[in-house]
Amino acid sequence: MSHFSPTAAVSYFFNYFLMKGVLVTIGLTVAAVVGGLILGMGVALLRMSSNPALAGAARFYIWFFRGTPLLIQLVVIYSGLPQLGIKFSVITCALVGLILNEAAYLAEIVRSGFMAVSAGQREAAWALSLSPWVTFRRVTLPQAFRLMIPPLGNSINSLLKATSLASVISVEELMRRSDMLMQEHFQILEVYAAATAYYLILTSVWDAIQRRLEKHFGRSSAAKSRRLDARGPVVQASVEARA
Amino acid sequence: MSETSMNTAMGSGVEGATAQPQLREVPAVRMEAVYKHYGDFTALNEVDLKVAKGEKIVICGPSGSGKSTLIRCINHIEKHDEGLIYVNGVELDRQRKNIDVVRRDTGMVFQSFNLFPHMTVLENCILAPMTVNGMSEAEAKNLAMHFLTKVRIPDQAEKFPGQLSGGQQQRVAIARALCMRPKIMLFDEPTSALDPEMVKEVLETMKKLAEEGMTMLCVTHEMGFAREVADRIVFMNEGKVVEQAAPVDFFNHPKSERAKTFLDQIIH
Repeated sequence: MSHFSPTAAVSYFFNYFLMKGVLVTIGLTVAAVVGGLILGMGVALLRMSSNPALAGAARFYIWFFRGTPLLIQLVVIYSGLPQLGIKFSVITCALVGLILNEAAYLAEIVRSGFMAVSAGQREAAWALSLSPWVTFRRVTLPQAFRLMIPPLGNSINSLLKATSLASVISVEELMRRSDMLMQEHFQILEVYAAATAYYLILTSVWDAIQRRLEKHFGRSSAAKSRRLDARGPVVQASVEARA
Repeated sequence: MSETSMNTAMGSGVEGATAQPQLREVPAVRMEAVYKHYGDFTALNEVDLKVAKGEKIVICGPSGSGKSTLIRCINHIEKHDEGLIYVNGVELDRQRKNIDVVRRDTGMVFQSFNLFPHMTVLENCILAPMTVNGMSEAEAKNLAMHFLTKVRIPDQAEKFPGQLSGGQQQRVAIARALCMRPKIMLFDEPTSALDPEMVKEVLETMKKLAEEGMTMLCVTHEMGFAREVADRIVFMNEGKVVEQAAPVDFFNHPKSERAKTFLDQIIH
């Protein structure tokens, strides 16, 4: 077999076995994003805490998980921890590793988002005697989230591709199943072409979702100024004067 | 400040009917030997201040003299290091409960407006009445429209702050503070970030509020406003209250050298 067969590549693309791997990749990504966001939000809050012990612990966590390869983290959780009597299923190992790793990155993104909200916003909330929860939920979080979307999008894009590392600990996601097909049929280029196409589709879909999110959360100025057009030229002029 | 001058100052703030100043009335604000440090810098240096209910105080002085710090300590946005602060008789002693009471009694207007940019004008105004005072949305909207009408921008209720001029934003900020029905209003250089042509509309709004008997403490460089509205000018320098007097006396016969130089510099 000394040439590339497009028909074989297409047939791998529609291979049911490979498609199931795609679903596992999507599942791993979604679960790691949700888990990573929750944990990362917690780590970010600790990191911003005025308590030096809590802030220090969060700083150590971020330093450790951002400073070591995800591959080592996965292998240690999968093969290393059983040595200490801690044993998880394969899929749990992958999720724990991905979430712990992703949380470290997301924590820094969450923190930078909150730090970019001006101190005056918090002061105004205090002056109005808003509770800490209302201040967080209604004042700082919406503003921080808007600033977090672009770096968040980047990080999720990386995560989607990083799930392929879970193949090393035998999680049957897209990469692992591509390997398995390849070893069975030896059509290396054809199998990986199909896998590459899937990764490109997934990252492109995510790009589109991210663009919509940015548009949605940036709507406060854009959407309403469109509505104002109908109200006449005076209003419009004052909008432009501010812009 | 001597006891007598304090009583006169307090008396002048009490509205017409009670010509006799009630000496035992709880002052709106009482500060005793208040200190505030930022590292080596002393922002407030043994500040004593008493403000009677209904009194209008203008705080002025060169930049860095502690004016803003002083009024920011009154609603505990800045935490004083030493000394006593009482607001309507409630001591700011770091108890959460007392801080909440004081913040509910005081409204604050900032130099940079600090409106919530992701909410409409109306949403800005109803957030605190609904979440803090438990008002229904309809009630809160009614209240908000009442105060937006008072600051003469009810027609902007559905807009976002970024679509308004600076003067309009500051008037929204005043309405938002009033929606909590405060007993004391604190103004921290409310016109300093405005284009010159916007200053007047904000000052007019503040004058109206003063005429209705609101207790006001205002940090400002608008000496015309001070002359017209203030019962008392508090002049600060290097964290200290250097001089306090009725506007006529302060502007015509400043006692301290520092106040004389300050007035020479700002009145052209």
